[in-house]
Amino acid sequence: MTVQLVRTKAEDALVEQFTGVESRLPGDASTRKLRKAAIGAFAATGLPHRRIEEWKYTDLRNMLKSVPAPAASGAARLDRGAVDAALGPLAAIDAYRLVFVDGVFAEQLSDRERLPAGAHFQALAEALGRDADWLVDLMTDERGRSRPVLDLTTAFMTDGVTLRVSASLDKPILLAFVRAEGEAGAVSVRNFLRFEPGVAATLIEAYVRADGSADEHQTRTASAVHVGAGASVAHVKTAVDGGVHLANLAARLDGEAVYRPFQLTVGGQLARNDIEVVYAGEGGSIDLAGATLLKDRQHCDTTLVVDHAVPQCQSRELFKYVLADEARGIFQGKVIVRPDAQKTDGKQMAQALMLSEAAEFDSKPELEIYADDVVCGHGATVAEIDEEMLFYCQSRGIPAAEARALLTESFVGEAIAKIEDEALRDSLMDMARGWLRG
Amino acid sequence: MLEIKNLHVKIADEDAEILKGVNLTVPKGEVHAIMGPNGSGKSTLAYVLAGREDYEVTEGEILWNGENLLEMAPDERAAKGVFLAFQYPLEIPGVATMTFLRTAINSVRKGRGEKQLTTPELMKLVRSKAADLGVKDEMLKRALNVGFSGGEKKRMEILQMALLEPSLAVLDETDSGLDIDAVRIVSEGVNRLRGPDKAMLVITHYQRLLNYIVPDKVHVLAHGVVQRSGGKELALELEKSGYAEFSGKAA
Repeated sequence: MTVQLVRTKAEDALVEQFTGVESRLPGDASTRKLRKAAIGAFAATGLPHRRIEEWKYTDLRNMLKSVPAPAASGAARLDRGAVDAALGPLAAIDAYRLVFVDGVFAEQLSDRERLPAGAHFQALAEALGRDADWLVDLMTDERGRSRPVLDLTTAFMTDGVTLRVSASLDKPILLAFVRAEGEAGAVSVRNFLRFEPGVAATLIEAYVRADGSADEHQTRTASAVHVGAGASVAHVKTAVDGGVHLANLAARLDGEAVYRPFQLTVGGQLARNDIEVVYAGEGGSIDLAGATLLKDRQHCDTTLVVDHAVPQCQSRELFKYVLADEARGIFQGKVIVRPDAQKTDGKQMAQALMLSEAAEFDSKPELEIYADDVVCGHGATVAEIDEEMLFYCQSRGIPAAEARALLTESFVGEAIAKIEDEALRDSLMDMARGWLRG
Repeated sequence: MLEIKNLHVKIADEDAEILKGVNLTVPKGEVHAIMGPNGSGKSTLAYVLAGREDYEVTEGEILWNGENLLEMAPDERAAKGVFLAFQYPLEIPGVATMTFLRTAINSVRKGRGEKQLTTPELMKLVRSKAADLGVKDEMLKRALNVGFSGGEKKRMEILQMALLEPSLAVLDETDSGLDIDAVRIVSEGVNRLRGPDKAMLVITHYQRLLNYIVPDKVHVLAHGVVQRSGGKELALELEKSGYAEFSGKAA
């Protein structure tokens, strides 16, 4: 195969940007070395493009014509009221907050001092300065295979969350990543979340924009989650920050761990959610769901790889897309069942509701099964609003536009219903309703 | 008063007429039953009254209190007091029954120029009417009609009818698939809604329902026209003789 020699303008800009900000980025000598290795790898591969199978539908090299410069921190410009306004329905959730403004921890907006004894938090920038080895080791390990976007995130990371949960939480922890008002900028954050054996916890990871923030923003984020044996973790991510949103989630489940991630994407010019799940112990279970609401020419690609490396694990995926105008939704779901992974139980479903004839949905399930005693299935549906249901609603006095919104709500509601926490489920429903009637 | 005059209806995109000149008048305060063999056009008439789009009215008119229903969208008809209890109520996954009821009630109230009810007012109203029909709180929390039994779905239809307070209620085979206890509960619910300002059209294949909802008049619909009209005794007669008498006519 040919090796890429010519870099695009955006690729050149990214490499130059790194040279410009490198000295201001946090971390010790080992962190600097890691950053250099990451940007070096990126410079060699460039942005992923359509000839790479996982990026077939999201040709970043073609789609990213330019990349805004790394954002300057806007922490001083936001108060709690502005954060609440940006969070919208999530602001009402009773949770411990850790707030980041333009990719930098905002102590004065956060509940650091109020965190319960079982939640051990350090901002990534602090951790990279004094206790970097374990983090650098983790990030070096994950660089085992080519992931240009993750490389960019690592090279440019300004801050993020390192959190170890050693006792069950009495209420959720809300990680709020807020884009401040002002010029467009790129933010890179990385989160390291570890849940000790047996704990129960709910984590909310919200990407939001404050009033007056620029549309042409770019967020790069990567979270590494480790769910310990027998732990039960709900992890709800919401991306309503607009602009370009490039996210990576890598989760490792130990034996009997239960992990329930949910991903809501509302709007945004271009979003890519990469999800990788590996089972490291028998009896693990993942219930992964998501809802994506797009209009105009918005584009959202969720690509996941669930790796059943050990026996007796269960995986469930349910992703729903609502696509209006010329929006494009993509779902790629790969499930690998390794030769030893007998008694694997996997089910996957991707569904799209098309609100326009010009919208597009691409779904690509991939099952790679090497074990023989397994139950695995996948499905995909593409539908329009059901005319009979619409008539039923109208016959009860509900006007057509409201009935359409209600039926669309019912479609995404099936995925959102996977969230067990009632208050959290209600606020995600409110976010969806806001979009439907906006 | 409901006036159906020379109503001709076909399925859109098809040629064959289903209703071939139906004439029917239901004055306020009366309950009329429409009986007839399968495929006679009973359900078509119900759908056309409610405004379903896949039927095309080629001739005739439907007036409700002097206003032309055919010019109105289904939700506008509901605001004017029209209610159709479906033979097969639809399941709406993902929408809690209470949410659906709230949306419907306030939509209809808005259409009638009445004030919106607050959530506590709505809950109170829904709970009291639900109790009358033996609809449990737990059902109100579930998605509308999803996983409901046939009887539960029909009770839910009658609950919606009670909440939306229609002045013209059309019941399409409300007794189908119900055991005798369920027929009684549903009929009691319907009878509570009778009143001097209300007109009702009860569509049924069997006479059984009319023991509980006693009609003022009975019409026999066959081959797309009203073949015969009479008092409630006509239903009993049909129970004995069946619809054979009408099988050859007007085909």
